[in-house]
Amino acid sequence: MLKTIIVVLSLLVALPVYALDGTALLKQIDRNLNPESFEMYRKLINVEPDGKKKEYTLFSVKKGVDKVAALFIAPASEKGRSTLRLGENMWFYIPNVGKPIRITSLQSVVGGVFNNSDILQLDYTAEYDVEKVEEKGGEYLLFLKAKTKTVAYDRLKIWADKGKLLPTKIECLTEANMLIKTLYFKDHKDFGGGIVRPAVVETDSPLFKGYKSVLIYAKVKQRTFKDEVFTLTFMPNLESLR
Amino acid sequence: MRTFIYLAMIMVLSLFLPAMGAAEGDYTFNLSETEKKPYHFGGYLEFKPVLFGLDHDSAFYKLRYFNDPQGQTLSELNGRVQLEGSYERDIYSLYVKTNTDLKYSDYGGSSEHSVFYEAYGSLKPSPSLKVEAGKKTMKWGKGYAWNPAAFVDRPKDPDEPELALEGFIMATADYIKSFDGPLKTFSFTPVLLPVYDHINDAFGNNNKLNFAGRFYFLLYDTDIDLTFMTGGSRSDRYGMDFSRNITTNFEIHGEYAYIRNARKTVLDESGNMNAVESDAQSYLAGIRHLTASDLTTIVEYYHNGTGFSDDELKNYFASVNRAYNIYQSTGNVTALMDGGYGRFSAGRDYLYVRLSQKEPFDILYFTPALTLIMNLDDQSYSLTPELLYTGFTNWELRFRTAFLVGGRSTEFGEKQNDYRVEFRVGYYF
Repeated sequence: MLKTIIVVLSLLVALPVYALDGTALLKQIDRNLNPESFEMYRKLINVEPDGKKKEYTLFSVKKGVDKVAALFIAPASEKGRSTLRLGENMWFYIPNVGKPIRITSLQSVVGGVFNNSDILQLDYTAEYDVEKVEEKGGEYLLFLKAKTKTVAYDRLKIWADKGKLLPTKIECLTEANMLIKTLYFKDHKDFGGGIVRPAVVETDSPLFKGYKSVLIYAKVKQRTFKDEVFTLTFMPNLESLR
Repeated sequence: MRTFIYLAMIMVLSLFLPAMGAAEGDYTFNLSETEKKPYHFGGYLEFKPVLFGLDHDSAFYKLRYFNDPQGQTLSELNGRVQLEGSYERDIYSLYVKTNTDLKYSDYGGSSEHSVFYEAYGSLKPSPSLKVEAGKKTMKWGKGYAWNPAAFVDRPKDPDEPELALEGFIMATADYIKSFDGPLKTFSFTPVLLPVYDHINDAFGNNNKLNFAGRFYFLLYDTDIDLTFMTGGSRSDRYGMDFSRNITTNFEIHGEYAYIRNARKTVLDESGNMNAVESDAQSYLAGIRHLTASDLTTIVEYYHNGTGFSDDELKNYFASVNRAYNIYQSTGNVTALMDGGYGRFSAGRDYLYVRLSQKEPFDILYFTPALTLIMNLDDQSYSLTPELLYTGFTNWELRFRTAFLVGGRSTEFGEKQNDYRVEFRVGYYF
């Protein structure tokens, strides 16, 4: 009897606590990907089937679970353009046009496979509920469902490394489980300040056969901002934060 | 003409720069790209040949070419050079943007016009407060093609609503406050706009200091602006606009302006000019919709309360035809004038529809579009198909044709052209 109790207790201790709480696991993945409030630089590269590339450089800032803004600093044709997301509201500012216009999460201000919600990604826990978690060898597989209809993808499947609690692959799906795109997280890098995360995210899509888009991360660091930074009126001034 | 050759040479040489960069290695991110310099210099070059198909019977053809008849078509070379620079130190910054328009045609020869579009200094003591003084554009309003509530801006050309515009000399500030709850953001933008000799003298009545302002609210996920202007250079006016996403891919917006004692000069049936003054209301209602296949539809209805009615436009066109006949028989040109009837959207009620399909057939950076602008009172319209390609870094290639359709005595039927074909090559640096 004692043996049985010891075996059961040992098994309980050995089981990861996150297997019981998918939300806590997703929260930890969110925090491992980024601090809650931070700044970073990203290079976005669109690759066409013939190998032709087009590159954009962005400076991004984020605060809390639902405030994020990105400023294009290159190439010259895009410089000064910025995007802002406040929860489900998204705007795009073009210096010539002047006033920020409302955009949608499925739209893409840069063309290619990444859309606006990929570029202005909130915490996954802000937009998704965890339906179930499975263990696949050295990885967890999280099945996520969007909290509202306004989220860009109805469903996500996240493969996360058990040890690092960081995603290795994410499939973005429709309500009917049709694959829209796949994100591949690569090249783990120490950015300092305790931030260790994939420095490269690649994506491809059955809807864009042969095309690929890549995000390269740099200078990811914790930083706090006033709420007023994440407003329409401030959009033309994002450059002053750099 | 030599200026155009230099402009074309610079643009052709620049075409090879992105190609050279593209041949380099995979997925490199040179961190020097992220270093910020206190100064910035950039600009935009444009070359735009245009072919006009002239309508010899139209009122505006007669107005412009009454003493120098043209053939069936008229070609024109246009160039544009925009230079911008900025300097930033601590909470202070300076920004300058110049614009030079170049034009060459067999009819008018060559011309050049340069102006500062913007030149202002900024003081940003905190993210909540910014103070600016100098020449700048404000670009208020939510409409895509028209902005009746943009009281301190020059009117947009609905045919090219995304073009940069020249500003006015003003002092302005932004105060921003964020909140938790249904009201997420409030901001106030006061504007002092002086009109004196050589300062904004095209804006309105001289020797006046005008005061305008905008209150912005993000309330229940809806952008709401309240605007006003008073001071005497133009009649007092009050406005509001809003924009909201109904779903992730469906946006609605609107604008309203109430203009007290709006003045305009109209021609009666006999061709006599009368000054008319009355309160006017202008408004706009629009939607923007995106389908899963990336087809963006923009539809806007615009009522221009200060515009000319169908009858007023008809009287004007009749008057031009009478004056043209007098000129042909007597040589007297004094009766030939524009009187504001030739400005953008001179009529009362308009419909704007723009369909743009992003990247059809998996052709990246390619966007064909079709734009309709219709005067709803006389049913005349312009229809503009266009092809846009932005696949070369910093380059923008656009081919478009505009067809102006309408009977006699209608707004678009009396424009000087029946059609226009243009190719625009733009280069950013």
